[in-house]
Amino acid sequence: MKPSTTARLNTTLAWVLLVFLVAPALVAIPVSLTSKTFLSFPTDELSLQHYRKLFGSAEWMSSFWQSTVIAVASTLLATATGTLCAIGLWRVSSKAGEVMRAVLLLPLVIPPIIAAMAFYRLFVPLGLIDSYPGLILAHTVLAAPLVLITVSASLAGFDVRLEQASRGLGASGWTTMRRVILPGIKPGVMAGAVFAFISSWDEIVVTLFLSKFSVYTLPRRMWNGIRENTDPTVAAAAVVLMVVTLVAFLIWALAARARAKGLKHG
Amino acid sequence: MTTPTAPGSLHLTQLTKRYGPVTAVDNVSLQIQRGEFLTLLGPSGSGKTTLLMMIAGFQEATSGDILLDGTSIGAMPAEKRGFGMVFQGYALFPHMTVRDNVGYALSVRHRSRAEIAARVDEMLDLVQLTTLGDRMPGQLSGGQQQRVALARALCFAPPVLLLDEPLGALDKKLRIEVQAQLKDIHRRVGTTFVYVTHDQEEALSMSDRIVIMRNGRIEQVGTPSDLYQNPRTEFAASFLGKSNFLRQGGAVYALRPEKIDLSPAGSGPARLRGQVRDMAYFGAVLKYQVTVPGGEAIEVDVDAWRGGDPLPPGTDVDLNWTDAAAVRLDG
Repeated sequence: MKPSTTARLNTTLAWVLLVFLVAPALVAIPVSLTSKTFLSFPTDELSLQHYRKLFGSAEWMSSFWQSTVIAVASTLLATATGTLCAIGLWRVSSKAGEVMRAVLLLPLVIPPIIAAMAFYRLFVPLGLIDSYPGLILAHTVLAAPLVLITVSASLAGFDVRLEQASRGLGASGWTTMRRVILPGIKPGVMAGAVFAFISSWDEIVVTLFLSKFSVYTLPRRMWNGIRENTDPTVAAAAVVLMVVTLVAFLIWALAARARAKGLKHG
Repeated sequence: MTTPTAPGSLHLTQLTKRYGPVTAVDNVSLQIQRGEFLTLLGPSGSGKTTLLMMIAGFQEATSGDILLDGTSIGAMPAEKRGFGMVFQGYALFPHMTVRDNVGYALSVRHRSRAEIAARVDEMLDLVQLTTLGDRMPGQLSGGQQQRVALARALCFAPPVLLLDEPLGALDKKLRIEVQAQLKDIHRRVGTTFVYVTHDQEEALSMSDRIVIMRNGRIEQVGTPSDLYQNPRTEFAASFLGKSNFLRQGGAVYALRPEKIDLSPAGSGPARLRGQVRDMAYFGAVLKYQVTVPGGEAIEVDVDAWRGGDPLPPGTDVDLNWTDAAAVRLDG
């Protein structure tokens, strides 16, 4: 019976770890349902008033919209540049290319606060502070390495002879990429896009530096909400934020499953 | 069957490929005739695949040139050369149906749907896969995938078809069947075939000419029977078929096992006398190992039907052959 004891211990530990990781995020759910007007756990009754307030507020809704625009735009840009970059490095496959890859992954290693300061110093003279293009550009730079990683992983399993076959049959480099390489690495591109979206959707550090009045993303408004008062609307917003992230992730997971099935059954 | 256009002769001039200190292909010059079935035969590391990849345009030559019908194509990218290629492992596009795979070359040339459909039908007919057009490659057997790869490579009527060990993944019985089909297709389309293999039987049974390669160089070129009957080096003699090597007065002679007559000792004059060490029964032939003075073992193949009863190990035997049977080798 020894192995079963170890197995049970493993399972228990895994669950404890999972709860430890997820519980802080889930706290927002009961708090958002409180009937009081400050951040607290509901004691006697549950209420949806903070959700009503959230969706009824022009300010919160505008922040939702802004976050969506910035996240979608930077996702598109980061996915395109990250994918092209990964394919380029894969095609070149040289030592210099690997050095280049390390440099390109730096945004993942550099602390966000340093990156935020760098963006600030750079964007002030360019007039990009407190503007959509500025935030979209910054979020693109932060998200592109995520796409580079997931697409590179897909390319590692991509048969280089498929590319040769396409070129040998007369297809140009561009046609080969569109019709053979991209369909082959679609899972990596999709995963990269989801990660890019999520990273922009809940980005706060760089946003704090780069936005003032005219651009006010959702995390930024939550930050202010917590600092200035203890309005539980913040918790409601957090729940919505998580739900959107989860939905993005689910779409990706379902697409991946459908594709796996499609390949099996044709 | 539409016959492809007349071009298709290749001329390789002093082709060399170096990877740093390693020379993969060393100063290879070769003339390939239009419509020929030419096989590059050699062990792994002999440079045959590198040579094929240079002809295809996937690898750039360090020096030397390739001429197609007299025009230099050495600097031309693969997609401009317009050669068909069948890859080891087939490299079918996994996300496209069989029909889309076969029609790919015409589709990237922006031909009309109707033209592509008609040509794809023709090609599927050629490789006898008419009923499987809507399947995905993953749903096909190895032999079927191999035929799709062939149809895809021939669909745009290329002047030259390059084949990189296309039968390597098939089991032996299927391989012999596909060899016959390949030869038949070659005869029907008239395209120049350049075929890479390490399998000597494949090379002998299909080729018009064989190029034996070794260490990046051409060891010997010739028709299958020419190479088999008149090998010039020990390597050529032992890589293509089996051979005994006899050393006489500084010269080396190659002697094929089936060209030796074996008879019980004392029945007449003998070139060599020996003793049967071992005998293996192969149905059509008996393969004897005969120990001769000097300790060497000589292989003798005897026709099982005409050769009489098998001789047990230990029997003293006389070995005879005609002068023409022993081929004097270079160096």
